[in-house]
Amino acid sequence: MKIERYDMIVIGAGPAGLSAAIEAAKKGLKPIVFDENARPGGQLFKQIHKFFGSKEHKAKVRGFKIGEELLEEAEEYGVEVILNATVVGLYPEKEVTVKIGDKVKHYKGDAILVATGASENMVNFEGWTKPGVIGAGAAQTMMNLHHIKPGNRILMLGSGNVGLVVSYQLMQAGCEVVALADAAPRVGGYGVHAAKVARCGVPFYLSHTIVKVEGDECVTGVVIGQVGPDWKVIPGTEKHFDVDTVCLAVGLSPMSQLLKQAEVKMNDTKGGHVPECDKHGATSVPGIYAAGDVSGIEEASSAMIEGRMSGTAIACYLGYMTEEERDSRIDELEKQLDTLRQGMFAPKNRGKLVEKTDEGIDVSMNLLNKGFVTDDEIERFPGVTHQKGIHPVIECTQNIPCNPCQDACKMGCIRIGENITSLPAIDPEKKCIGCGMCVASCSGQSIFLVEEDVEEGYGEVTMPYEFLPVPEVGDRGVALGRNGQYVCDAEVTKVRIAPAFDHTYLLTIKVPNDMVMRARFYKKEA
Amino acid sequence: MVDIQAKLKEIGPFVEEPDDDLLVCRCEEVTKGQIRKAVHEGIFTLEEMRRYLRSGMGLCQGQTCGKLVKSIIASELKVSPAEVVPASSRAPMRPIEMCILAEDGGGCDE
Amino acid sequence: MSNVADVVIIGGGINGCAAAYYLAKGGTKSVIVLEASNSIGHGGSSRNGGGVRQSGRDIRELPYAMYGIKNMWPTLSEELGVDTEYTQKGNLRMGKTPEHIKKLEALTKSANSVGLDVRMIDQKEVKEICPYLSDEVIGASWCPTDGHANPLTTTLGYYKRALEMGVKFYTEAPVKSLQKVKGKVRKVILNDGTIFEGETIILVSGYESRAIARTIGVDVPMTRLIDECLVTEMQPHMIDVMFGCASADFYGHQTKHGSFVFGSDSGWETVDEMVDPSTNIPDPSKLITNSMTLSASCRAIQGYIPALKDAKIVRSWCGWLDESFDGVPFLSRVDEAPGLILACGFTGHGFGTAPVVGLMLSQMVQGEETVVDISALQYNRFKPCR
Repeated sequence: MKIERYDMIVIGAGPAGLSAAIEAAKKGLKPIVFDENARPGGQLFKQIHKFFGSKEHKAKVRGFKIGEELLEEAEEYGVEVILNATVVGLYPEKEVTVKIGDKVKHYKGDAILVATGASENMVNFEGWTKPGVIGAGAAQTMMNLHHIKPGNRILMLGSGNVGLVVSYQLMQAGCEVVALADAAPRVGGYGVHAAKVARCGVPFYLSHTIVKVEGDECVTGVVIGQVGPDWKVIPGTEKHFDVDTVCLAVGLSPMSQLLKQAEVKMNDTKGGHVPECDKHGATSVPGIYAAGDVSGIEEASSAMIEGRMSGTAIACYLGYMTEEERDSRIDELEKQLDTLRQGMFAPKNRGKLVEKTDEGIDVSMNLLNKGFVTDDEIERFPGVTHQKGIHPVIECTQNIPCNPCQDACKMGCIRIGENITSLPAIDPEKKCIGCGMCVASCSGQSIFLVEEDVEEGYGEVTMPYEFLPVPEVGDRGVALGRNGQYVCDAEVTKVRIAPAFDHTYLLTIKVPNDMVMRARFYKKEA
Repeated sequence: MVDIQAKLKEIGPFVEEPDDDLLVCRCEEVTKGQIRKAVHEGIFTLEEMRRYLRSGMGLCQGQTCGKLVKSIIASELKVSPAEVVPASSRAPMRPIEMCILAEDGGGCDE
Repeated sequence: MSNVADVVIIGGGINGCAAAYYLAKGGTKSVIVLEASNSIGHGGSSRNGGGVRQSGRDIRELPYAMYGIKNMWPTLSEELGVDTEYTQKGNLRMGKTPEHIKKLEALTKSANSVGLDVRMIDQKEVKEICPYLSDEVIGASWCPTDGHANPLTTTLGYYKRALEMGVKFYTEAPVKSLQKVKGKVRKVILNDGTIFEGETIILVSGYESRAIARTIGVDVPMTRLIDECLVTEMQPHMIDVMFGCASADFYGHQTKHGSFVFGSDSGWETVDEMVDPSTNIPDPSKLITNSMTLSASCRAIQGYIPALKDAKIVRSWCGWLDESFDGVPFLSRVDEAPGLILACGFTGHGFGTAPVVGLMLSQMVQGEETVVDISALQYNRFKPCR
């Protein structure tokens, strides 16, 4: 009976697992990574949007690109990645049983990292088991991995980042998102994600939940209703929508079963059943580590840093680096992680209503309640100025960890400063040349170029555009406001694309000059 | 120490609700009403609920309904879901054919 | 909360719950059941193959096993208000070699001697009963009155009924020690210091009974052994019999739900120390399956029922057997500790007899004669071998 032994066994080839394996391999370990999927990268390959953060977090790079880079790095450092390999048991003495093809094999690791990620939560309502009710993550897999349109008319439940990002992607895939509902009284995800969905015309129903899904064989409609303080639906507030698909984005739960089987000490938290870990990811069982969503739901960017921290800790645990070397590397990584965990969406603010930005500006309540900042509210943010000639208008109104716009502007028009969660501000002394780099670099699609007077009575607005077909110069259509409602007629005057824009088109429309601060989206037909 | 009789008295009798027919565990077809009723019969833990109604014992092993059943039990017991101990996890983490397991001699190369 | 009762039962497994139920039914006013874990039936009651059989048992056990099957199991679902899934369609104890057959013949003969209807059948008859078996099975013993039930619902059924009848149950109430008052066992002291008192104390806590009995100077000759169970996904209805093997390769049956529940081993069990992975110190409360047994079990089962080769295993779990030195339980009052009744050492086959054991425990408390004579199960029957 031969059991193959590795320095380090990693379960899950997602952002955390791969990052950990790479980090450890750099120190001379020989890690093996098992993943039950046919492709590595975990959820990264479904993420077609640009990531937040700063350069060290690969900000403004699209998720799947980050996945590709991780894979290249893993290969470079000799990390062995075994796909279609399901770890089915984690036993004493750090032994795993792995189903590979039609064989079950046993491996032992001197250290094991569990990076199995999370699975989608469900919610019960009448009809929730009907075909057509799917997880938002499942919709994303269908669209972005398998190129299958999940439905035609969709209602999204959940206004966290997953619900917002997937709603936008559904529209990119050609689906109509008829409404976005959430039982919570406020939008849970980033305001910039909400704003880009709202300006496409998707109505937000906060404090609303699904009453029932209709249909015999499959979904044909959905009824939502307003919830009272007791979370029960208030009679008479029901609203019906004809839909063929209902997407649920109601949170994720860590897939921590292997850790439980291994008798790791667990904590039952609001975010699920997670292992009790030290800051390096070490669990209560010596040699077993956890990183990424399995140890608490966060974003892929944090998962990658957590993975690197665990990889470092494991390298030290197995004698591949000194404690001093470990601590200095961990310090470095901790700083990166800390910057991601700042701002309004920091773990300490979870569930709290933050009413003022770090700068002391009142947060837009309409953004939290309806998904968009109103025309009056937008004026109070430091990214919004009125100038002669072309200039950026940055509608970034919450303190989130992100700063690519600052570097994107070679003219120095945009200032964020040391603290990457600060709101971007415009330096009126610096001259905008209208290059559009800031527009394309903004992962939240919240930067517009505005020029009030291009000709008598008309100005221009340049916006990021990620839909197909791409409009052509000369096309006439309508401009929609931040709330997705018609504001005026518009004509496309410029369509720009460049490798540096990374597939984000810059669409310039001509609108009456009193509309340049209101027109924020272009639609071909009314 | 949990005094079952005292707790049963505290939570009062089972009262039917309009959504009792709602399917909660889809693998084993267990409804919300069955779960709620079981709590009033003294079934206070997820482990016991699994044994009593088979909730969470199907192919997905409770990955979908575990959290939902937990919150139903908690609400019936009038406690926070954190006070309801999660169910244990059992190998294999994914269902495996008996013939594949039968080939496994305990090593790596067999 | 009154901590004083007529009877305090230590152990919320099926035997404890059944005893509580029959006591309440028999008119005992106050009964308290103390369960160490947070769930009823946490021990062997939820970690067994559900056999309700007579065949294969020691002749000291057979009379009450037969009593239970004849008089109690057939009406139990009705009595408890749960579906015990009791199915009386026979037990097939299979043999693959002449040695196996010899062993089965000996068992059959001794069972016949106390009046049990069990007989040897050849391969042809085996196949008629169950067409899904391997040709390697050359014969079997066949006991048509044996069967199986669902130990989970049966245990909880007793619990539920006992609750309804006013029995007090306390979970998360681990017992540390017993204490005598004026020469009689009366006090039951929990780990947290809480004291319960009973006119009679029934100790029915599996292997843990040994440590508890020791606190008043009584040692029970038993040890413990780990055993594993596994369950398949739902299958179409195939077979109603209970399976067993002369060589103890596996046991099990198809449940009403459709899944097959089996028990088996890999041989590692005899040396399994059940170590807490965090501390490397043995901790029997951990109940961790080992990496080889599930596969070994499947190998064993497939060797007899090849038709199940594509059935998927969804779960495996383990539990301790309380193995008495001679394979049959201790079921008696303790002479040197008046007030104490012992019921432990069921050696892995206590489920099928739980109703009758519960009934007899209540009879012992209530001063009645037990339905059959169980004097052979005295706690002090151990004799030195030299």
